[in-house]
Amino acid sequence: MNAKVENLDPVIFERQGVRLTRSQVEAFGREIEALRDEVMSDLGEQDARYIRRLVKTQKSMELAGRGLLFLSVLPPAWLAGTALLSVSKILENMEIGHNVMHAQWDWLNDPALDSSTYDWDNTCPAEQWKHSHNYMHHTFTNVVGKDRDVGYGILRLSEDQPWNPLYLAQPAYNWALAALFQWGVAFHDLEYEKLLKGEKSFAEYRVQRRKIMKKVRKQVLKDYLLFPALAGPFFPLVFAGNLSANLTRNLWAYLIIFCGHFTEHAEMFSEADIENESRGQWYLRQLLGSSNLEGGPLFHIMSGNLSHQIEHHLFPDMPSNRYKELAPRVREIADRYGLHYNTGRLGQQFGTVLKRINRMALPNRVLRGLSRRRANSAPM
Amino acid sequence: MHLDSSSPRNGLMRRLGRALASPFDPEDYLALFDARYSSREILARVARVRRESDQAVTLELEPNRLWKQHRAGQHVLLGVDIDGARQQRCFSLSSAPGEWPVTVTVKANGGGGVSDHLVHRCRAGDLVSLSAPAGDFVIPEPAPERILLLSAGSGVTPVHSIVKSWLSSGQTGRLIWVHFERNYSSLLLGESLRELALDDRLDFRLVLSADTPREGDFSGRLDEHWLTQQVQEAAALPLFVCGPQGFLDTVIDWHGRHGHGPLFHERFQQATSGGGEGGRVRFARSGGETEAAAGQSLLEAAEAAGLRPRHGCRMGICHTCKCRVARGRVRDLQSGEHRELNNQEIRICMHGADGDVELDL
Repeated sequence: MNAKVENLDPVIFERQGVRLTRSQVEAFGREIEALRDEVMSDLGEQDARYIRRLVKTQKSMELAGRGLLFLSVLPPAWLAGTALLSVSKILENMEIGHNVMHAQWDWLNDPALDSSTYDWDNTCPAEQWKHSHNYMHHTFTNVVGKDRDVGYGILRLSEDQPWNPLYLAQPAYNWALAALFQWGVAFHDLEYEKLLKGEKSFAEYRVQRRKIMKKVRKQVLKDYLLFPALAGPFFPLVFAGNLSANLTRNLWAYLIIFCGHFTEHAEMFSEADIENESRGQWYLRQLLGSSNLEGGPLFHIMSGNLSHQIEHHLFPDMPSNRYKELAPRVREIADRYGLHYNTGRLGQQFGTVLKRINRMALPNRVLRGLSRRRANSAPM
Repeated sequence: MHLDSSSPRNGLMRRLGRALASPFDPEDYLALFDARYSSREILARVARVRRESDQAVTLELEPNRLWKQHRAGQHVLLGVDIDGARQQRCFSLSSAPGEWPVTVTVKANGGGGVSDHLVHRCRAGDLVSLSAPAGDFVIPEPAPERILLLSAGSGVTPVHSIVKSWLSSGQTGRLIWVHFERNYSSLLLGESLRELALDDRLDFRLVLSADTPREGDFSGRLDEHWLTQQVQEAAALPLFVCGPQGFLDTVIDWHGRHGHGPLFHERFQQATSGGGEGGRVRFARSGGETEAAAGQSLLEAAEAAGLRPRHGCRMGICHTCKCRVARGRVRDLQSGEHRELNNQEIRICMHGADGDVELDL
């Protein structure tokens, strides 16, 4: 191959031992887009029925759960009520709320399922979520310094994040973030570190905080005061049930979301990586920065289909019930280009997330020392 | 049954309900039991489908309690799910104010859209959405003693509502209503028209252009001389007209030359004519307008016109830039697909104008 040809079609992607030229990256992008067009033009009544039935199921479970909690003087009723309420909160947050706010169901033209008006049962206000998640996280996925989901402002998850001694404690406080996940999500939007650096005005910060507090007050009033109070003498039992349901939802959401981008082989990117990024390169970054979870149909629904994190990141506004059918086809395309399609069971993937959190607690220089020693002691 | 139409709303209970349902509304849970419950919009159940002919139906609708009584002659934007997605179209209400259930009369047009769906596939029990009634095609207060009403084709529906409500409100004056139709089989609301015609205060005349008239009816079609020749004092009477474009043009033209009473007319919306790519973009909220170039996104056009619309990724993925299009024709810049919009939201970063577009910006 002479130099002239190479200039016309230079290698613009090099990672994991794979080299792709500009035209290869573009061809990859076109193949991904063809999948998108195929599904989007096929949306119809069946999809509409899926989401409406899911909303009905979720609302019925919530009513049943809250009803059973009023009978919580009987321990099985408390358990069943708490379980139903937990599942309903998970469904509402993940398969319904998250996906509706992504505009996956805007095509229905139904104001009850429209991204511009939907608000979810979570402490993070919909408006702020749509900015930090739909725009910042989905556009700048895994770009250190741009995507604030990388560590939520308190965890170090990439060697490109500067280390400080506080991170030594992250293997422990990571669990606090998991338990308080909805609060972490709500407050990480405040970007208080930008405030300290003077990149954000106090006025803006105050407006945002007021909106979050308004949302917080509503959830606290509902789950920790009004419903318990309606139960009269069983106030503490209903209070405990609601608290458990919110906790379960927090832990589950944390688990799924961390497995989506912070598994061992999920790639991180720098701001330099995305300069003049083409649409094809953007698709590549979405594929390499995301990881999937394997499981049955119920598991996929309970994860809000974020078990198909790769497909979700390639097609964030495609109705989530369609990711499953695309997953093997995306994998086939990835294989053909020699790209890693990151997938595994929940336990397996989460194990590697914990490994990353533990490793990144240490400064880079220690990490390099560790890996040198491991390389030296490795059997030939 | 009208949902809770009579019970006075208890403010405290309502607030408690909202706090318990937050961030949703109690209606979102009540909808499990009756799908019409909504805090956002008027939803109605189709109580009965009355067949007018093989190409037309009258739908009896029972809306939820957000429905406010209409004025005779007004229309609603009626939405129905077709292949999962809600599509909307304007229909005049054919029932008189206060009549229950509320009715619209729909004629199939063969376009495969809302009208055809309603005529051929709508069943009792289906759910439809309604906008609040709107339109100025209404009798002014106080009602004139004498009115001349002219209608053609499906223009019969709002006039039917006007006449029915005028007659039932104990007016003492006199109405002349001339309805133009091709033939008997295409006539809408025929049964009700015959009943109304029994009232002495109404002089109802049916004029057919392509059928042999039965006793009492007429043969012919409207032209510039018809009114002067056939209706005594036509030029002096307040005039209400509703019908297809050509019919309206003839009447408006005649009124311009001869009429000296007030003229009220209702135009059935026409699709905006779409040229090639690019087009005129009107900004409904800020009041300006601009010319969008071919291939330019509506977001870019708005920015070039000095507006600062909300936006995010500029690549169609985050939906931050979603904006309502009152009406117009747009082109999806990614797929190249053209779409006719009527009060729908789109991402302005990835749609360009394809003819006239009116944006809610």
